[in-house]
Amino acid sequence: MLRFRLIPWEYAIRNLFRRPLRTMLTFTGLAVVVLLVLVVVGFIRGLEETLAASGDPEVAIVYSLGMGKNLEYSSIPMRTGDLVAASTGGVRRRHGKKYVSPELYLAADIGLGQSGEAAMGLVRGVTPSVLLVRRQVEIEEGAWPRSGEVIVGRMAATKMGASNTRIAAGESLAFEGRVWRIAGVFSAGGSALESEVWCRLDELQQALRRQDLSLVALTFAPGGGFSDLDLFCKERLDLELQAIREPEYYAALQEDYRPVRMLAWLLVLLVAGAGVFAGLNTMHGAVVGRTAELAVLQTIGFARRAILLSLVEEGVFLAAAASLPASAAAILFVNGATVRFTMGAFAKHRRHGRAHRLRHGIVARTAGGGASGDTGAAHAHRRRAENFLNVENERKTK
Amino acid sequence: MSKCLGLFMPLAAAVLMPGCGQGQRGPSTSPADAAVDGKYVLASEPQGAQGVIHVRENARDEQAVVVVGRIGGSENPWVEGMAAFSIVDLSLQACSDKEGDECRTPWDYCCETDLLPKATVLVKIVDGSGSLVASDARALLQARELQTVVVEGKAKRDEAGNLTVLAGGVFTKP
Repeated sequence: MLRFRLIPWEYAIRNLFRRPLRTMLTFTGLAVVVLLVLVVVGFIRGLEETLAASGDPEVAIVYSLGMGKNLEYSSIPMRTGDLVAASTGGVRRRHGKKYVSPELYLAADIGLGQSGEAAMGLVRGVTPSVLLVRRQVEIEEGAWPRSGEVIVGRMAATKMGASNTRIAAGESLAFEGRVWRIAGVFSAGGSALESEVWCRLDELQQALRRQDLSLVALTFAPGGGFSDLDLFCKERLDLELQAIREPEYYAALQEDYRPVRMLAWLLVLLVAGAGVFAGLNTMHGAVVGRTAELAVLQTIGFARRAILLSLVEEGVFLAAAASLPASAAAILFVNGATVRFTMGAFAKHRRHGRAHRLRHGIVARTAGGGASGDTGAAHAHRRRAENFLNVENERKTK
Repeated sequence: MSKCLGLFMPLAAAVLMPGCGQGQRGPSTSPADAAVDGKYVLASEPQGAQGVIHVRENARDEQAVVVVGRIGGSENPWVEGMAAFSIVDLSLQACSDKEGDECRTPWDYCCETDLLPKATVLVKIVDGSGSLVASDARALLQARELQTVVVEGKAKRDEAGNLTVLAGGVFTKP
């Protein structure tokens, strides 16, 4: 197929070992470049995926008019939840219970354990209905909070800059003048909710001496209309409400982080560009230092293209070899490392949330016999509903 | 060397291209693509138009009103798939009316938030039977945010005092 004779592959490999110092230096440089690119790309993807995973297309948020995207400053009347549920068609309903979750959300100084150290964290006062609306939430450890207790997201420790052992079930947190026992840990499919501390809405209202809400989150039935909700908010100007679909809210947050992401991509470009030019320089050096050798190869009948291909083979082999330790280092030390940001924390792990959901999906499908294409989702949905009913029953028996 | 560079650069570019692309968003269907429904667009400006604040304060339920205002009042003054939108009293200043303001959504009147609730009214375009027209107002009127409109219709008050104008026709000022 090629119209020229190729230089044997081993020749290129052997050449690398003929100049060990130069090869080692190039190898190290390439490995560092690959590692840096992986770290920065991991940072960007982690941030993007956390915000992307946080929006459920069937969920809308109702909050104060004119608050922009600042849910923590929002204040709406306590009756908003009931009012919205009663006035808006298309809200999902199960066993007579509407998927409407009134929530109080704020950033607070949270004392960690007995040490008295405090860190800024995100607190959400919720009712058991939150399990209907925040469908990705699963209790990983412990139980739903009872009086005087909280449940923490699995990234809450990262958000507060503390170790996971200090923010675990059985430990305590102090905020808003009270000490709260940690009853359990929840996951939320890699979304921003995992960075939060949840407690009972009524208790948080008492602690804050507030009777209002920050937001009402609700889930629409399939085909249910966001427009009805939007119309309600625009019609009831006395309530000063606005509605937004959850993915749009998180997309707007992602837009706020656009400069950070652009800067990170620029860094990737600069690091990779520097790597490319260092590689070019090395290859140029390799050619200049081997003029006689290359001339001999040409003399004995190898075409210029064959010699060029052999040099490319050397470079590709070296780059591929360098990417192995770089990838190993990234997997060992960077993958899963967590980073704090204003709306929570995220992990530098490309597919964590999806893998997590997939794992549960597979388990659910196996349990359900896999009869239909949507068995996994249906089972998970049923399990969440059962969780909710258990929590409700527990609450009623108290 | 220049030949080497010529070969290496495309290779480097190919390596640097991100491998895992994000899902592409589909093309958005602009409401402006839809045809204007002349039935609800008034050819001439109705006389005796009053400001939003005045109508909010004085109009009684079921009273015939002519209101003038600018489309806005929130980041999205339209209601998707429905012929409904908010208008704001002309006395309020949008961010774009202020020199040097670079607000990307000046129609949300974020500089006048305190005054907004009493200077905003919802307009619903209704058909002969009084039902809300199930068509996006942007398409229906070929209107855009901050455009001044004169709305002819009937006032509808709820028990909380909120006013909605059930419009039979809208005149859009160029």
